[in-house]
Amino acid sequence: MNNIPSPMRRPTDWSGSVMQKRIARRYAAERRFKALGLFAVLLSSGFLAFLLFTMVGKGVLGFQQTEIALDLDFPTLTGGTQATALRGPGADATLNSLDLGGIVGVAASAQYGADGEDLIGGGTALAVRKLLLADPALVEKKQRLWVPAAAAIDSAYKSKGDAKAEALVAKLKAQSAIQSSVNTTFLTGADATDPTEAGIWAAFKGSLITMAITLMLAFPVGVLSALYLEEYAPKNRLTELIEVSINNLAAVPSIIFGLLGLAIFLSLFGLPRSSALVGGLTLALMTMPVIVISGRNAVKAVPPSIREAAMGIGASPVQVVFHHVLPLALPGILTGTIIGMARALGETAPLLMIGMRAFIASPPSGITDPATALPVQIYLWSDEVNSAFVEKTSAAIIVLLIFLLGMNAVAIYLRNRFETRW
Amino acid sequence: MTGTGLLFLIAGMALLAWLVGRARATSLARGGGALNSLPSYHGWFLLVCAVVPPLLFLAFWSAISPALVTNMVLSDPVASALPADAFGRASILSEARSIAQGLQDKGFQPASQPFVPLYKAALAHYQLLGTIATALLAFAGGAFAFTRIRPDFRARNRVETLVMWGLMLASLIAIITTLGILASLLFETYRFFTLVSPLEFLTGTDWNPKANVTPGADNGYGAIPLFWGTIFIGAIIAMLVAIPLGLMSAIFLTQYASARVRRWMKPVLEILAGIPTVVYGYFAALTIAPMVRDFAVMVGMSNAASDNALAAGVVMGVMIIPLVSSMSDDSLAAVPSAMRDGSLAMGATKSETIKKVLLPAALPGVVGGVLLAISRAIGETMIVVMAAGYTANLTANPFETISTVTVQIVALLTGDQDFNSPQTLAAFALGLVLFVVTLLLNLVALRVVKKYREAYE
Repeated sequence: MNNIPSPMRRPTDWSGSVMQKRIARRYAAERRFKALGLFAVLLSSGFLAFLLFTMVGKGVLGFQQTEIALDLDFPTLTGGTQATALRGPGADATLNSLDLGGIVGVAASAQYGADGEDLIGGGTALAVRKLLLADPALVEKKQRLWVPAAAAIDSAYKSKGDAKAEALVAKLKAQSAIQSSVNTTFLTGADATDPTEAGIWAAFKGSLITMAITLMLAFPVGVLSALYLEEYAPKNRLTELIEVSINNLAAVPSIIFGLLGLAIFLSLFGLPRSSALVGGLTLALMTMPVIVISGRNAVKAVPPSIREAAMGIGASPVQVVFHHVLPLALPGILTGTIIGMARALGETAPLLMIGMRAFIASPPSGITDPATALPVQIYLWSDEVNSAFVEKTSAAIIVLLIFLLGMNAVAIYLRNRFETRW
Repeated sequence: MTGTGLLFLIAGMALLAWLVGRARATSLARGGGALNSLPSYHGWFLLVCAVVPPLLFLAFWSAISPALVTNMVLSDPVASALPADAFGRASILSEARSIAQGLQDKGFQPASQPFVPLYKAALAHYQLLGTIATALLAFAGGAFAFTRIRPDFRARNRVETLVMWGLMLASLIAIITTLGILASLLFETYRFFTLVSPLEFLTGTDWNPKANVTPGADNGYGAIPLFWGTIFIGAIIAMLVAIPLGLMSAIFLTQYASARVRRWMKPVLEILAGIPTVVYGYFAALTIAPMVRDFAVMVGMSNAASDNALAAGVVMGVMIIPLVSSMSDDSLAAVPSAMRDGSLAMGATKSETIKKVLLPAALPGVVGGVLLAISRAIGETMIVVMAAGYTANLTANPFETISTVTVQIVALLTGDQDFNSPQTLAAFALGLVLFVVTLLLNLVALRVVKKYREAYE
């Protein structure tokens, strides 16, 4: 504003160099601002891409397992055990007396020299045992088996390891006695101290049981309270109190629900610690408000004309809601439920509070058995000193993310497919 | 009887009751006389009468029967062999009990052996009693309802009244949960303050909780470093990341981006909100924290910690971006378009309009969103547990280890302490502080957003 406006002001000379410069400056600011916005979006999505690439890059190795060829001369190693001894009820006793761990150790030393025993993974004896049980005839033969490699060899073969392991791998490669295969143990096994034996099935099953309990409790309660609040609740102090508590519960940090579970379910009711039952109860309390809030929105979206039409032909208030409003609102409610369940599936902190962080070496078989959940397993593995657990952790994260993205995709599909626009 | 078996039995009974009720009503209708209610309502009425009383009884029975069983076992002469101290007694009895129930194969205490058959007998006795009583109740309820089935019986009204009660009870669970949280936090916090003075907890600067407390002395329960760490990581570092990125993303996506870009980029940003926090925590600890430490060492800070506050804060900020972005999005969209059009018509560029008209008008909504984001950030647990470390530290250096309230709650509760130790109780006190602060933040945020919405409606 260098010119003092005079009463007889001449029109601004936009083509003059002063004004042109000013306009150029303003346009430059405009471009800068827009670029800044683009930069923010790209940075945020770049971070997401970086995270996913890191996890996938590390995690794919977790689905692979290095195997080493092991020549097992069963007749000599087992002292001539007959195949018939491995059939029928006596099989387990015979196998126990054989000391398979010692046998594979001896075989490995015989084949690869003094440090041969360090090459093979801790799960080898168990794998051989399963193999023999499945096919007892093997015990009378000389057999070349591919057995899981030890953790150090495994990481040396996949990426990098210490000098000693690298040298061993080079030697094995020269003999073509090492290969990479799909790691089925990872998907079927339970937690173990040896990374080559560790798997996610136990944690995954724990998560499934916990989620089932959460769904069975949170869904009916959530839907019923959404219907009550939206359709029947009189405007009074109690209703107001219910609404306030639901809105607050939806915003309470999840760790507080863990404290609630610890104080009420574990120490007051004396329910079993670390069980999927308590985990499910705790997560249900956390998920319920999410379902109520999305359910209320879905019920609200059903137009009043539907209710009036139903009432007009003589339906009672309960019939109006359960025969007409609820079926129409169901897709919206389901969408909200799936999103709430996805959040519960990824939740870790409350489960730590109620003790679902124990070392679980076998999958839970019931709702009161000690169990762990997939996110908790990720947390536990991330704490492991053994660097071979890094790829296991990332692989478990990939499994978890696939499930969460799948659930969200189903929710979006449901919303697009079934939600009616009135 | 096992839980699953019981469940199937009840489900079968319910189905039977429903079918019988409906069949009875249908036959009445066929025999002449118009029914007041549809046959299926009679079925539901019979179902409720036959199933609800036994279920209530079962709940009651499962609460009292353990005590009855123990009483019966103790009344046996063998019980005189039990040791006098309560702890040894209880451990022998509980072991015998779990062997008798088949939960455990063999006992570790020989003394529990003689009690196993006793427990088996007592359990069988009371189980039989319970089953008979349940069956009788179910039968009585069913029979009562069956006799009520008449053409003029208003079964629908009865069933609908019950449905309304069910709906109301379901909504009361929210209040019960809130009360449960408050009661448990307040009760444990009260017990904590009988051991450690509130003054030390709220104003002390030394956090190093000891298991054995001496009243009046410094017990290491000063929570100021934790409050500072929570604010520093959650409300300062995370917000320095989340507010600019979230706000600018929202501005770009709503004001500049084409419809196609918006359709693709919005869900991408929302994926950030759907990633579990344990994944963020692992990512922060594995990738970001070493990078931050290397950077700090490069610029000459040799004492930078690998579990530094900056990594946790930055990753937490990224997690919060979608929340800030969607709240800003909403409030920008709520600004009347007349204001925007007016500014553009005066010759202002888009960025001038955004900076001088839209943002000031949308500010309350954005502030509300930021408050909600802060409340999310300070209650966040896994990222800080995995990346920020356990050492409480009163410092403003983001390259050092700083602990937060949530980290300490986890640290205090995942050990093997007794439930009554001051360390366990301290976790509840920290939880109460967290609960109150997040509650206040949410209330204020919602009020701000609501007021602002009303201003433009």
